[in-house]
Amino acid sequence: MLSQAVRWLTERRLASFSGGIRPPRQTRRTLRSRVMATPIPQRLFLSLTTYSKQERLTPVVRLGEAVRKYQCLATHLQDSDLILHAPTSGMITAISRDTLEIQSDGLDQALTLRGSTTEKITQAAILESIGRAGIVGQGGAGYPTIKKIRLAASAGAKVLIVNAAECEPFVCCDEALIREFADQVVKGAEYLMQASAADAGIIAIESDKLEAIAAIQEPLKASSLTLRLLAAKYPAGDERILIKSLTGQEIPDSVHPAERGILVQNAGTAKAVFDAVKLGQPSISRIVTVAGAPLKTPKNFSALLGTPVSDLLSWCGFEHESHSEKSSAHFQHTDHSKIIVGGPLTGRRAEMFRESVQQTTTCVIATDKINFPASGPEHACIRCGFCADACPVGLLPQQLLLYSRNFDEHNLNSHGLHSCIECGACAYVCPSKIPLVQHYRQSKAILRDSAAERSESQLRQARYRHWQTRQGKAARRQVKQAAEPERETPFSRENAKSEIAEAVARVKEKKSGNRQ
Amino acid sequence: MNEHQPSPPAQLAAHRTADLMRQVILAATPAALISTWYFGYGVVLNLLVAICFAYALEASALYVRRRPIKHHLADNSVLVTAMLFALSVPPGIPWWMIALGTGFAVLLAKQVFGGLGQNPFNPAMAGYLFLLLAFPLEMTAWHVSETVIDPASGHSVLGLTSFREQLELLFPGLIFSSFDIDGLVMATPLIESKLASQSALMSAWSEGRSLLARGSGTGWEWINVAYLLGGIYLIVKRIITWHIPLSILSTVLGWSLFFYSPEQSAIVGTPYLHLFGSATMIGAFFIATDPVSAPTSNPARVVYGIIIGSCIYGVRVWGSYLDAIAIAVIFGNFLAPLLDHVLRPRIFGQISHSRAAPASLGQASIENTVHE
Repeated sequence: MLSQAVRWLTERRLASFSGGIRPPRQTRRTLRSRVMATPIPQRLFLSLTTYSKQERLTPVVRLGEAVRKYQCLATHLQDSDLILHAPTSGMITAISRDTLEIQSDGLDQALTLRGSTTEKITQAAILESIGRAGIVGQGGAGYPTIKKIRLAASAGAKVLIVNAAECEPFVCCDEALIREFADQVVKGAEYLMQASAADAGIIAIESDKLEAIAAIQEPLKASSLTLRLLAAKYPAGDERILIKSLTGQEIPDSVHPAERGILVQNAGTAKAVFDAVKLGQPSISRIVTVAGAPLKTPKNFSALLGTPVSDLLSWCGFEHESHSEKSSAHFQHTDHSKIIVGGPLTGRRAEMFRESVQQTTTCVIATDKINFPASGPEHACIRCGFCADACPVGLLPQQLLLYSRNFDEHNLNSHGLHSCIECGACAYVCPSKIPLVQHYRQSKAILRDSAAERSESQLRQARYRHWQTRQGKAARRQVKQAAEPERETPFSRENAKSEIAEAVARVKEKKSGNRQ
Repeated sequence: MNEHQPSPPAQLAAHRTADLMRQVILAATPAALISTWYFGYGVVLNLLVAICFAYALEASALYVRRRPIKHHLADNSVLVTAMLFALSVPPGIPWWMIALGTGFAVLLAKQVFGGLGQNPFNPAMAGYLFLLLAFPLEMTAWHVSETVIDPASGHSVLGLTSFREQLELLFPGLIFSSFDIDGLVMATPLIESKLASQSALMSAWSEGRSLLARGSGTGWEWINVAYLLGGIYLIVKRIITWHIPLSILSTVLGWSLFFYSPEQSAIVGTPYLHLFGSATMIGAFFIATDPVSAPTSNPARVVYGIIIGSCIYGVRVWGSYLDAIAIAVIFGNFLAPLLDHVLRPRIFGQISHSRAAPASLGQASIENTVHE
């Protein structure tokens, strides 16, 4: 009780939002060790997927080709902002629709980088470096940083927010990053400010990350950025929730925050920007948290993109053998539920041997039975309202569940399903263990489809109406012609002249009428 | 749903519906014990009979509906319903009345609507109200053994004699064919005050007798204190929120203060009597907070509490019925869906909860393209 009261009092001064949940943080064990660079893995699997589901990168290298570190591997034909570089030297051994596999040679032969040597760097140079490095947002969505900067700059960027609020349990890659590379993050944030011409810069850290807060004090003194502390609850790090906490401004789901001149960038992105601008280094690695109770030494890795997740886990003392034995003994392939890629609240359960580190991979979790029990059978919704209290965007999840089950389109819309950010706070607190997020995702998909269908059918109807009017006009013309059969008057100059004069008069009349 | 690709979040909070129900039962247990202390074994016997019938009826209803019986019984909700019902009915009524009320609660008020989560009315109160309408006399008579009133007789309310007496009342003519029942029927203090007689509580108070002693013929206030403490426990444990109980209690207090005058206290009651003299606390903390039949957004909860509180006071003072909680709660249940619909929280990024569907945006753009 006392600790709750103290927390309540102190949080009056922190940037916060209504709703949210406080799952146990579980990062202490992981943060005991410093960020470690990984050894060069034998094989790397680079994803060719992009932030948009439909688009894929096109490889510019051939199968069997030897590549060097930092070499461009794939790009998008229309969109030069999307680009992929080789994390290490080696040979291309496989190319599929989604992935590109490199067999590393272990030599790490790199192309020479051209970093900036001058202290003063122009805005154009920063933008060019960021664009060339192929940096995408490291928080989750993977939206190209350069696009976001341009969007914010064109809207007249007011503020840059560096998002270091990783609010999910287990995830601590940003905390470790700031703890150990605070000056680079701050410098990168300044480059971002310069690039977007933002008026102000904020670094937002959750109040319980004491080491990160302490580490960033010194570099902040020499910069124009300010530090703001956030209440330590989930989902403080969601882009819109973060903006709401810091500025009080609520950005509806139909508008991108950058369109309002608010540029939110992840702390890891800021570090990548620093590397790109200062060293000229493309984005080929990121910091990944590898955590979970089954690991002997959970830690944060500075991992090359494409590093297989199974390698990361084995470097942390994960026992693959006992695992596979167990799963074969059970006669069931259960491995897929043992690993979570991303945080435990928004991440997805994945198969260990199919996953590798991407620019958006924040965390890999080896699950255990205590923290991640089998969800068990779902009970009936008792309308307890825990979900409504937890919802950070003020929805009524229990009502949305009802409407999702009945697929009540009108009420789904009027209760704001489109505003749902799928943070999963509702499903976390649900005592009946109802997979609420799954229901909402399904309903959203159906709504999207039906909206697309409706717009298409409306388009068709409109075309049909136009066609009908055209047909009607043509028919009337025909009838008219039929009713007035060949009243052919012999051509005469007078007739023609008077007709022309009449037509001119009509046009003049029309024009003067329009003017009035 | 789909077992192979479980959706996020992968990590879930530890509490479950069954645990919440268990906490409610735990919070009500002290009050049940104090009730037993004052009213004798009848309370426990009522509880046992109600729980047995409730489980049997729920299981058979689930069997008929072809639902997994064990899975649904495991959520403990039927236990809470039976417990609240049994604690609401006076001890000393025959078993078949309890069976009837429980049956109404479990079958008609809950299972007919589709089981847990679907019932528009609080099952326990629906069952209670049914009995109140059918057997008004029995339902307002809180039987207290003669021995309680007269400590000189040497019997204890928890003694063997009174146990047999209670059994006889519960199963009339079944066990002990001719047992002389020396009993006294007394109503709740508030009801007594309504009947314009000085309540046992008031007399005990004015005579300076210890309120803790059973012989004082009081007990309601201690039961209410127990419910109050149990309710605070539930709030601290975050099983219920403060909105409904606080708004009910403050509304009842507000009305009783507003209409209070010392000369008329025999008719309109005192604020103290309104809060502690009857079933106000169990109503405010345990019955009105039933999440299934209450509204879910916090502003709606406050309005719901105000409505129930006003209804409690109105029925007690101006109504013809002697017990107000059940009527008030059922009345509130009627309004809960409307409150939920009208008093929605504001959605993030919207000025007010607008009824404009986003689909209309799509329509507009299509029309523009067509007209161009």
